[in-house]
Amino acid sequence: MATYDFVFSALGLEDWCSQGQSSSPMSMAQLLSKAKGGDGTEVTSIWDLPFPSLDALHKSCSAWPQSRDLTKGLEDGFLQIKDNLSLVLDPITQPLSWSLDGALYTMLHTPWWIVIPVLLAVVFFVTKSWKLVSFVAGSIVLLAFIDYYDYAMQTLSIIFVCAFLCVLVGVPIGIAMSRSDVMQRMTIPILDMLQTLPPFVYLIPLIFLFSVTESKLYGIAIILYAIVPVIRLTNLGIRLVDKEVIEAADAFGMTPWQKLYKVQIPLALPNIMAGVNQTIMMSLAMVVIASLVSAPGLGVLVLKGIRNLELGVGLVSGLGIVILAVILDRVTKASLARINAAQKQ
Amino acid sequence: MTSDVKISIKNLYKIFGPTPDVALEYVRRGMGKAELLEKHNHVLGLRDINVDMHDGEITVIMGLSGSGKSTLIRHLNRLIEPTAGEIRVDGEDVLSFNENQLRELRRKKMSMVFQKFALLPHRTVLENAGMAMDVSGVSTADFEHEARKWLARVGLEGNEHQYPHQLSGGMQQRVGIARALVSNSPIMLMDEAFSALDPLIRSDMQDLLLELQEELKKTIVFITHDLDEALKLADHLVILKDGEVVQQGDPQDILLNPGDPYIVDFISDINRARVLRVRSVMKEPSGDAQDYAGDISEKDNLESVLSLSGGDTNLTFRVVRDGETVGDLSMKELTRALVPLAAASESRQKGR
Repeated sequence: MATYDFVFSALGLEDWCSQGQSSSPMSMAQLLSKAKGGDGTEVTSIWDLPFPSLDALHKSCSAWPQSRDLTKGLEDGFLQIKDNLSLVLDPITQPLSWSLDGALYTMLHTPWWIVIPVLLAVVFFVTKSWKLVSFVAGSIVLLAFIDYYDYAMQTLSIIFVCAFLCVLVGVPIGIAMSRSDVMQRMTIPILDMLQTLPPFVYLIPLIFLFSVTESKLYGIAIILYAIVPVIRLTNLGIRLVDKEVIEAADAFGMTPWQKLYKVQIPLALPNIMAGVNQTIMMSLAMVVIASLVSAPGLGVLVLKGIRNLELGVGLVSGLGIVILAVILDRVTKASLARINAAQKQ
Repeated sequence: MTSDVKISIKNLYKIFGPTPDVALEYVRRGMGKAELLEKHNHVLGLRDINVDMHDGEITVIMGLSGSGKSTLIRHLNRLIEPTAGEIRVDGEDVLSFNENQLRELRRKKMSMVFQKFALLPHRTVLENAGMAMDVSGVSTADFEHEARKWLARVGLEGNEHQYPHQLSGGMQQRVGIARALVSNSPIMLMDEAFSALDPLIRSDMQDLLLELQEELKKTIVFITHDLDEALKLADHLVILKDGEVVQQGDPQDILLNPGDPYIVDFISDINRARVLRVRSVMKEPSGDAQDYAGDISEKDNLESVLSLSGGDTNLTFRVVRDGETVGDLSMKELTRALVPLAAASESRQKGR
């Protein structure tokens, strides 16, 4: 009847096959072929030989699982562990919600004539460059003047919180990786996966786990996406510290902790800061996508532009994101350059 | 010179590879470096090293690259673990030390100077110099006085607040030496400390080291691949080749009686007149009164005696130490000592 009947008959599995009656509803393809009449599975030429896939084998043996059984199984499995998982994850991630809500509240409820000077002071403190301060001042004033101030500040505060948490979690992971090759071998595949998974894919299981109204949902998505560079570059930076200097530290009797915070971290700092720069840029990219799951900020406007085909809104908010990106990049790069200048070998 | 043995190395072996213990057995049965590498894929680092380093002396370990000298010096403070053997510092077995004892040893007893300086680029010269103190938990304010003193002693007064990258190579190595001195440890390990410097600065640094040693009498272990440097600094010279000690002893002795063709090759290029000293070629005083052409010190090198004689080979000089006559030196004997060794052995064979 079907192409691969002979496999099952050769193995003597016909009984087992006929036991399993397909309980799942008919697929669209089956419906169509039924409507056409005739089973249409007869192979007439070797050119039409189907790959022995789940579905092709299912045609010969109804007890054989179909490919949608696989995806359905995954989904069922996830739903089964979901309650237990969120029981554990909910309390752990609750502080993330608090800090995101807190940052958003603080940023939006502090008057603009306090927030803007404070931001500029921070910029000056990390870069010591008046040129950059005036550029940032001009950009923020421009955004505020066209009434995008609130959105920009929402985006900015989400990035601050997420990037800060990325550094807080990522740097220790990077240090652990640099100290143990086993840890490095175990972590790198995970990092590779986080970096290559399409960003939208993070959102699906997260929606199942947390409620869309909670801010930790987008917080986790952003952190997972943006944490990778800071981990990688911390690991790399510490591994690249001059062997001679490490040897000197050993020869003068430093303990492992002294070596870490007196030699390795300070010397790896340029690399770690490069990682922080990348992390901030990636959180900015993700905060736009995360507006799909209720992250506030400029991303919402972009989404509105797409949904309602409001070209102007989309363009202006896109431009706002570009301005924020340029500000964040220039400021972190300038502080990185200052660190580099201080430790030129 | 008789003084206490400060560091004693006995039957030290080091083999690099996945199963050094197995390879060690082959080496003990006499397998050579090349064969071990080819058949068992292990690298013989050091073979049966026995060296006594005396208190207050400069022991120079010399060898070409790959001879195992840097490996050897790293065994003394256990930056590298030996495969077999014994290392004693002040009579204590370093290999039995646990981590804390080892750290104490590195902090209090041994300091190290590195070929590539290995200063901390993010710390000032002053903080670098005080690294050993800082490691033991002394605050910058407390070690500042000590660090400034030694920095001034090595000629870096006024550079305290600069960063290493602002200094030249020679000055960076001065910081390296100051760092070792500030730790106040009796033993200094110097791993090709002057090899990265250009010749003039290197000579300056050697003089500085000798001058400091005159005053401080530390036990210094100095690694070099440069024979001139070795002869200038050494009280005790150890020559390594392929991980084995070829000859060790008083450098003057080695120069006059090389025990191995390898060493003859090595020393054939050097200026013997500048390296040999009066004490190693002088004769016992003959007793009967001679007319001496002048007094020389036993520490003078032959070059200075040559220039004193003005080229006259009939003169005889009196050798004095602290005003006492300890021997005499005729220009004929001096000339004989200057004959290159390869030529000397040839003529001896002809005479037979």
